[in-house]
Amino acid sequence: MEFKLEAHRIVSISLGKIYNSRVQRGGIKLHKNLLVSLVLRSARQVYLSDPCPGLYLAGPAGTPAPPPQQPGEPAAVPPAGWGEPPPPAARAAWRETEPQPQPQPQPERTAVLDAQWVGGAEPATSVTRVGDALQGREADAAEAAWGSVEGPRGAAAAGAGDPVRGSDVFPEGPARRPSACPPGGEDQRGAAAASPGADCCCAPRPVVDESPAPPAVCPRKRGAAGVGGGPAGCQAPGATPLKKPRRNLEEQQPGRGEDDDPEDMETGNVANLISIFGSSFSGLLRKSPGGGREEEEGAESGPEAAEPGQICCDKPVLRDMNSWSTAIVAF
Amino acid sequence: ADIISTVEFNYSGDLLATGDKGGRVVIFQREQENKSRPHSRGEYNVYSTFQSHEPEFDYLKSLEIEEKINKIRWLPQQNAAHFLLSTNDKTIKLWKISERDKRAEGYNLKDEDGRLRDPFRITALRVPILKPMDLMVEASPRRIFANAHTYHINSISVNSDHETYLSADDLRINLWHLEITDRSFNIVDIKPANMEELTEVITAAEFHPLQCNVLVYSSSKGTVRLCDMRSSALCDRHSKFFEEPEDPSSRSFFSEIISSISDVKFSHSGRYMMTRDYLSVKVWDLNMETRPVETLQVHEYLRGKLCSLYENDCIFDKFECCWNGADSAIMTGSYNNFFRMFDRNTQRDVTLEASRENSKPRASLKPRKVCTGGKRKKDEISVDSLDFNKKILHTAWHPVENIIAVAATNNLYIFQDKVN
Repeated sequence: MEFKLEAHRIVSISLGKIYNSRVQRGGIKLHKNLLVSLVLRSARQVYLSDPCPGLYLAGPAGTPAPPPQQPGEPAAVPPAGWGEPPPPAARAAWRETEPQPQPQPQPERTAVLDAQWVGGAEPATSVTRVGDALQGREADAAEAAWGSVEGPRGAAAAGAGDPVRGSDVFPEGPARRPSACPPGGEDQRGAAAASPGADCCCAPRPVVDESPAPPAVCPRKRGAAGVGGGPAGCQAPGATPLKKPRRNLEEQQPGRGEDDDPEDMETGNVANLISIFGSSFSGLLRKSPGGGREEEEGAESGPEAAEPGQICCDKPVLRDMNSWSTAIVAF
Repeated sequence: ADIISTVEFNYSGDLLATGDKGGRVVIFQREQENKSRPHSRGEYNVYSTFQSHEPEFDYLKSLEIEEKINKIRWLPQQNAAHFLLSTNDKTIKLWKISERDKRAEGYNLKDEDGRLRDPFRITALRVPILKPMDLMVEASPRRIFANAHTYHINSISVNSDHETYLSADDLRINLWHLEITDRSFNIVDIKPANMEELTEVITAAEFHPLQCNVLVYSSSKGTVRLCDMRSSALCDRHSKFFEEPEDPSSRSFFSEIISSISDVKFSHSGRYMMTRDYLSVKVWDLNMETRPVETLQVHEYLRGKLCSLYENDCIFDKFECCWNGADSAIMTGSYNNFFRMFDRNTQRDVTLEASRENSKPRASLKPRKVCTGGKRKKDEISVDSLDFNKKILHTAWHPVENIIAVAATNNLYIFQDKVN
């Protein structure tokens, strides 16, 4: 268990370093960030391989740790039924089953959520789009639904009990969201900036979302859970989807497997980092809040510079690097 | 005074150049022996100061380019003037440092204060004569080698042919001719086609001191590759590969970071080379690639503190190392303004401190000891009370004599062997 805590701490620190490197004078130092990413990878491996139950730093409702939910959750929060984390078994095939365990609430949830969104359809679409790019087509529909569901949920602090996402969602939310999405303010953990879920719900989709869109949302949450937030059972699988989308973005591999090698994930995430840095560091600042993903896509061609001020201010410091990949996406 | 970022003696040892974070270069010159002031022999005084690099802004990439001088390398002296190369992250400059101690007087067309004389007033011609003046040292940029590096330059090294030099950044090494600024040849390129597959970067590079076709470069993975430029134009395939297998029992989160090589230096003889990683210095025989011939622990007591050092970024500090003129001793820096010297012949090492408070001028330095645990003896310093903000990253050893220059943040210390 100590290893897990230590690993988690190291992940947090590493993400903070990566984040801070963006604003350092002289540009991004490739060497230092490469080393930090290697540490991230090691820590992540240790974290995932530790058989202890995950840390519920952003405990969802029903999980051992106190959920980070704000007491005053916005009314728009999805119905309570949503809050129950799917059982670990279900998580393994979360993509398919997540909506199903609560099939009944889901539609209404979706409706509720959509209603909450400003331009809700849009983010969902964009999420989907990214998701498409990231993964196989078959998951699209599910993902889209998931994404849209996720978004507001994420935004709605502690994702109404979504174990994985809740805390992760938060940090990005408030800072980045010009839209009406309720700030994920709940997140007590100050989860990593890139909460895909949170991002999902914003019309101007923050960088965060890009990266594995709903696959972003879900896998990332999954990953986050693996890293530190969710129920124990979902860690390993969680890790994979996270990595996979990102990788898919680059390689256009269809589908998102639950059984990907954690090894892959490592490289992919590291690779993403590197691709960001590799674009002569110009890609870190984007004009549109659209995202890290686009940055990475255009990495080699040198994405346009964004307004540094905007990005730096918008993103709250990654207080909890629970989902380190999402934080990376924050670039 | 700004933080010193590089220190380098010239070939004769009479000049010592330092570069700082503000882009300035300060050159010290050794005082000549003087009977009336016997103690001043061997003292280094400021000879010249000039601004080498200015901060720049790359508008295309929205990046600020730091003016910090990363490296200075002297050229061998060929005439009365001195030449050195100084580099920041992106641009290398060749500077000429020359003395002017005479001034011409008695021009025909202009007055002593420079005003033009009225031609109609000139009734006779005279030959200008040279008059002595106060010594003035001028530094002028003679060549500017720019726009050849996408990544941050970490090393420059003058070839033994005295005509070419290399510059290395994180992923590429370029070969320049000192006279040609608009072209350089790329001789090493480790950038992967897909940046996502990047696993290591170049951390230092140096030409062999005697063989003009041989160069080495170190990587962040703790390996050194020796390349022979005769084998192919692009030296992507190494001729020798130096790597010591990692000890699996000491694996930790930070194994990769502490194995990253921060400096590589050939011995003066060219037979050995030395690499510095975070905790140790390794001496390699160029004829043996499998493992170093010596491994010297610099501050092994830090191994248990790697996590804290990671948090405060100290683990990324890039320490340099240097040989003495005879290749019999090695010096490198540590924290708390400590620096370490190893005698290869006697196998003895010593830890000394560069600080004004703890040593008086002309007094011998007292050896220091870091207590690693248990009872702390008198005069020992415990690991926890080390000041990690006081780090000695840059040191230089006179090419011939036992004089060393130690840069402690923004102070330069010069120590020499006691002359009896």
